[in-house]
Order: sequence, then C-alpha cells, then structure tokens
Amino acid sequence: MIFYQTPEGRLGFRDIPPVLAEILRQVPTCSDLEDEAVEARLFPPPTEDPLEEGARDDWKAYVQPELHELFQTSRQTVDADLRGLKEEGDFFTVEFSSKHVPAWLNALNQARLALAAQHNFDEGELSQPGPLQITNEKELALLQINFYAAVQQWLIETLEE
Amino acid sequence: MISSSQTETGTSTKDATAVDLPWNVIVHNDPINLMSYVTMVFQKVFGYPKEKAEAHMLEVHEKGRSIVWSGAREHAEHYVQTLHGYLLLATMERGE
Repeated sequence: MIFYQTPEGRLGFRDIPPVLAEILRQVPTCSDLEDEAVEARLFPPPTEDPLEEGARDDWKAYVQPELHELFQTSRQTVDADLRGLKEEGDFFTVEFSSKHVPAWLNALNQARLALAAQHNFDEGELSQPGPLQITNEKELALLQINFYAAVQQWLIETLEE
Repeated sequence: MISSSQTETGTSTKDATAVDLPWNVIVHNDPINLMSYVTMVFQKVFGYPKEKAEAHMLEVHEKGRSIVWSGAREHAEHYVQTLHGYLLLATMERGE
C-alpha cells in the first residue's frame, strides 16, 4: 500500500490489498455501536470533582450532543471518501481532498478507541506487534488498530510538511 | 468568576471561594492515542510551540497526566470540550 499526494493537494492510498480495503471501509462503522464501554470512552465526563454533579449532568445534556454531531460528521466525510475506493487490478485506490484530513484523523481515532474499548485491550496487548494470522475477532481488532494508526501517522506527517 | 489577568498572576485571597480559584485542564494518559497526534492537538488547541506541546505529551505519557492549562472556569470547560472533540481524555479540576 502506498500513500501519495497529488500536485493539486489531494491525498490518496494506492496498491491497497483487498483485505486492507475492507478494513478501511469499516472505519466509519467501528464506533457506531451501542456499546457501553465505547460510549464511556468516547464521551468521558468533564470532571471527577464530587461537588460537580450538576456540571456533569449539564455536560451530558448540552455538550455530548455537540460531540456526537462532530464525530458523526467526521465519519460521514470519511464514508463518502471511501465510496470512491476503486478496484485497479488486484488492488484498490482511494483519493480525497486534503481538507478532509481532520475528519479522517477524527474518524480513525474514534475507530481505534472504540475497538480498544470494545475488546478491552490493555497497554501490554496494544504494544505487541500484530498477529501473523487472524484467528479471532480480538486479533482482527488489533490488526485494525495498528493499521489505522499507520494511516493516522502518515496523515499527521502530511499536516506537518 | 476570576478574571484571566488575576489567574495569570495567581492572585488569590484567604476568603476566596472555590469558584474564584483557577481551574486546571488535565490530560490523562491513554494507551491508544498516538504521541504525534497528542502533540499536534496541543499545538492546535493551545497554540503551543512544538517543544512545549511535546513536553506536555511526554508528561502525560510518563506520569499519567499533565496540567496543560490553568485559568477561568468557563475557558477550562471550553478547552475540555475541545479536547474531547479530539478524543483526548481530559478533565478539569480546581486549582490548589
């Protein structure tokens, strides 16, 4: 898989193997779950102060809906870009505007955090290299987390240039 | 509510109420967020130069938390919301 930038300021990935293309397609749906652990990680409380129960209630009522909308908008942007995945021989290619980089970073982060929360990964498991063979859902999730991290890292580097 | 100028000079009196104290914005360690991502977020949100952003990121990574900003409560709330928008684990606490 190769990351590239066009002279017009568009970004893309080419030579994407089919399995990674499928994993990329899952970015917008990974965090769209009715899972308490995922919800708790994506929407943490603003303070642990025992005197601030009212502030936590207000946060849930007023701030969380805004965050929901922000996260959903990012996922929708990425989903629209991923609909442009094109098959070219044995591989896939996708290209998108550099203006979408913040949405991609956000959606990739949502996906990684959601997968980690859903599968209850600890720091030790996350620091392991990905498995050579995928035999269960948790190993697949670790592959996804690592692959999405590589994509995120490349996007961050393009922002720094 | 304490003014930002008072906050910056650390002005406080013995009879100040808790509401008058500055609030700290804390970022907590998270095994998922990339170091480069956290650094980038600190630069964007607080306008910190890369060196300062990296120092806070390393403090989060090594000590489990870092006070990334202190000041008036309403600004602290805004920063925590912004950091949550970037999916960082952030909270606010009353300053000492």
